[in-house]
Amino acid sequence: MLKLIAKRLVSLPFVVISITFITFIVGYMAPGDPILAMLGGRTDPAAYERLKHSYGLDQPWQDQYLDYLSGLLRGDLGLSFRFQGRPVADIIASGISVSTALGIAALAGSLVIGIPVGLWAGVHPNSKRDRVSMILMLMLYSIPSFVLIGLLRWINYQFYLRGLPSLPVAGWGRPEHWIMPVIVLASASMGYIARLTRVSMLEVQKQDYIRTAHAKGLYNRRVLWTHALRNAALPILTVIGPSIAFVVTGAFVVENLFSIPGIGFLSVQAIQQRDYPVIQSTTVILALSVLVMNLITDMLYMAVDPRVRVEG
Amino acid sequence: MKTKHTLHLTLLSVLLLLLSMALTPVGAQEATLRWSLEGINDLVSLDPAKASDSQGFTAIGLLYGGLVRLDGDLRVIPDVAESWTTSEDGLSYTFTLREGAAFSDGSPITAADVVWSLTHALDPNTGGWTGPFYLSNIAGASAVADGSASDLSGAVAVDERTVQLTINQPSAYFLSQLTFGSAKIISKAQAEADPTGWELAPLTSGAYQVQEWNRGQNIVLAPNTYYWQAPSVSIALSFNPDSETAYQLYRTGELDIVGSQQNGIPPAHVAEASALPDFQSTSLFAVRYVGFNNTIPPFNDVNVRRAFALAVDKATLANDVLQGTVVASDRILPLGIPASELPVEGLSYDPEAARAALAEAGVTPESIGPVTLTYGVEGDNERIVTVLQSFWQENLGITVTLEPLELTTFSARLNETFENPEAGLQAYYSIWGADYPDPQNFISQQLRTGVGNNNGHYSNAEFDALVDQADVLVGDVENRLGLYNQAEQIAVSEVGWLPLYNPRLNILVNPNVQGIVFNGQGLIIPDFSALAIGS
Repeated sequence: MLKLIAKRLVSLPFVVISITFITFIVGYMAPGDPILAMLGGRTDPAAYERLKHSYGLDQPWQDQYLDYLSGLLRGDLGLSFRFQGRPVADIIASGISVSTALGIAALAGSLVIGIPVGLWAGVHPNSKRDRVSMILMLMLYSIPSFVLIGLLRWINYQFYLRGLPSLPVAGWGRPEHWIMPVIVLASASMGYIARLTRVSMLEVQKQDYIRTAHAKGLYNRRVLWTHALRNAALPILTVIGPSIAFVVTGAFVVENLFSIPGIGFLSVQAIQQRDYPVIQSTTVILALSVLVMNLITDMLYMAVDPRVRVEG
Repeated sequence: MKTKHTLHLTLLSVLLLLLSMALTPVGAQEATLRWSLEGINDLVSLDPAKASDSQGFTAIGLLYGGLVRLDGDLRVIPDVAESWTTSEDGLSYTFTLREGAAFSDGSPITAADVVWSLTHALDPNTGGWTGPFYLSNIAGASAVADGSASDLSGAVAVDERTVQLTINQPSAYFLSQLTFGSAKIISKAQAEADPTGWELAPLTSGAYQVQEWNRGQNIVLAPNTYYWQAPSVSIALSFNPDSETAYQLYRTGELDIVGSQQNGIPPAHVAEASALPDFQSTSLFAVRYVGFNNTIPPFNDVNVRRAFALAVDKATLANDVLQGTVVASDRILPLGIPASELPVEGLSYDPEAARAALAEAGVTPESIGPVTLTYGVEGDNERIVTVLQSFWQENLGITVTLEPLELTTFSARLNETFENPEAGLQAYYSIWGADYPDPQNFISQQLRTGVGNNNGHYSNAEFDALVDQADVLVGDVENRLGLYNQAEQIAVSEVGWLPLYNPRLNILVNPNVQGIVFNGQGLIIPDFSALAIGS
């Protein structure tokens, strides 16, 4: 197990360096000029040259990349192009905390609702409640977030028109700003988790040890909670990691449509503004978070399943 | 068990709703104007010299005062300066600051602050571009801008309350230029004490001061009680990159102003919104046009340009394709800019004449070959260029290839066209919006030979002579506007640009808001102390 983790940890820096290189090169070769974006498309050759120089963009690309990389190693992410003189680390730090909080809330929501619904359906397969809840979950899983957002906004607007309490449809800073984005963000992974839990429960219930437990004369509930659930939890655990990644990527759409200043929102804005230092940093951080999540999932998996531990 | 769960869910949702109600302060909107800035996720800077977009200048205009500013009729009026005199030769302006003029902490605004602010805006170390662009007429400005001087020779603090500005050439629009963001007044003492940090919490010279800046969300502005026209209403400027989101927020009562930036409310909602008393619409001081590369065939021939202009049915474009959301135009100056009241004979739609012009140029559709029209991907652009393409195909038989480019790439290509015209674009669909309401901004600064915005390199000696004369003419307004009118007529007849239409800006303003004027320049608060939100 330690060997596996060590292997992963050793490969991590290389993966990260490759990612920085790819984002840098793609950004460097992409059409569009950050200085022109800054100048609002006006032609003032003197100002153009001056700004280009002050951001080091007149240097050859290798130098620019090495500068960036050495800064990264020192924990210096550089200065934003768009927000002149503002450290990228500053911009991103606030974005990360917002996205993380939102992601955790969404994941918690999807687990708290998704697992019980899955269990509830899985215990009584092919019953009416199984079918209805699973169709509902499938819908939640497959409906694109921008459609769901439109739907929620429409419902909310109908509330508003009738003078009923309504939620802010976008923005950040007040507690009620959380409700809609969390619902949207949680719904997709909720549907996935519920369906997975159900399948997993069905699978486990067919196992011999469950039959044995029943044969021992244990109560149904006891069999479910102590024998079935623990084993059924295994596949769920493995998808939590990827679904965190899913929550992060899903956040791109949700954060942008709700104007939430998270990292997905910052990335999209930075891309539009050709704010390379911010683009590079957000990409690296997102990639890093997915890598770390996968690592944590593997470790969790090993902790729960002794077989993996032995093989590892 | 089933009912129990349903009960739990119901309880939970009721709880959530109650929570959201409890957390929404009922009286929160009592005296705060909630103004949405679309298209950005944050302000670039609160340093007036560094602001670069209309959203930034909206904030700057609320926070900082200048020597002068614009009123609701777009006339230049006194601001921090209470009066000024102009020398006989029109080269020297002497401003007297208001007695008791003070920054938001109560410290006095002095002539030294004014001189320092102008110098700061030009200083290459500041990193802004608007100063060198708008203040270039002040004597010594270029020396400061290129780093060869650190003092602005044309700006002198005569005493505490007197500033003297000397300019290179007489100019009727110099005062207009001083209303722009780059000439706003910053506290020299604060900026020198904390050169990098001051702009996060600046002492301000205008109607407002920063109360709270939530990065990536909004900036809350509180009245600056030291301002000569102190407001009583606070303003919260919220950042909404997406116009649709802003519109949705407005619909549910979360905003008081939406759409006031470049793009207005989303076109899809204009029909439903136009029925509301909140709806306001104006023709912008901007013009959409097709520019031609005058240095390479086929558009180096004036007759070919004329043929292209005569082949475009602007009325159909404006009224049918864009459903009246724009105003068709045959001229360069948008309606409302001085000199736009003088008539210009435009090249209106005439397919016969278009083909005749092509024949006169001695070319055929075959000899011209396919022509490329380049445009930036944004809003309705694609629909419009497709219609243009069909006009030229139908009326001239010329095949036009459309080249869509992402916006920043498009401006980079325009820039290349300016720098290296032979390798540049053939024709481009573009827009120009007023920086200040003066014909010089549209005529001389766009089409005079060699000026930085003349990407298509249109050149006409008579035109140049007329605008050179008009640019420096002070006092004789009628004569000056007449000269611009003659120049405009030349540029229209020779198709320096092919003007298409003036965009309309559709916005929503809460009808309870009083004291804001909406015109082609955007939203203006003529008297900050009269700004109010009724009920």
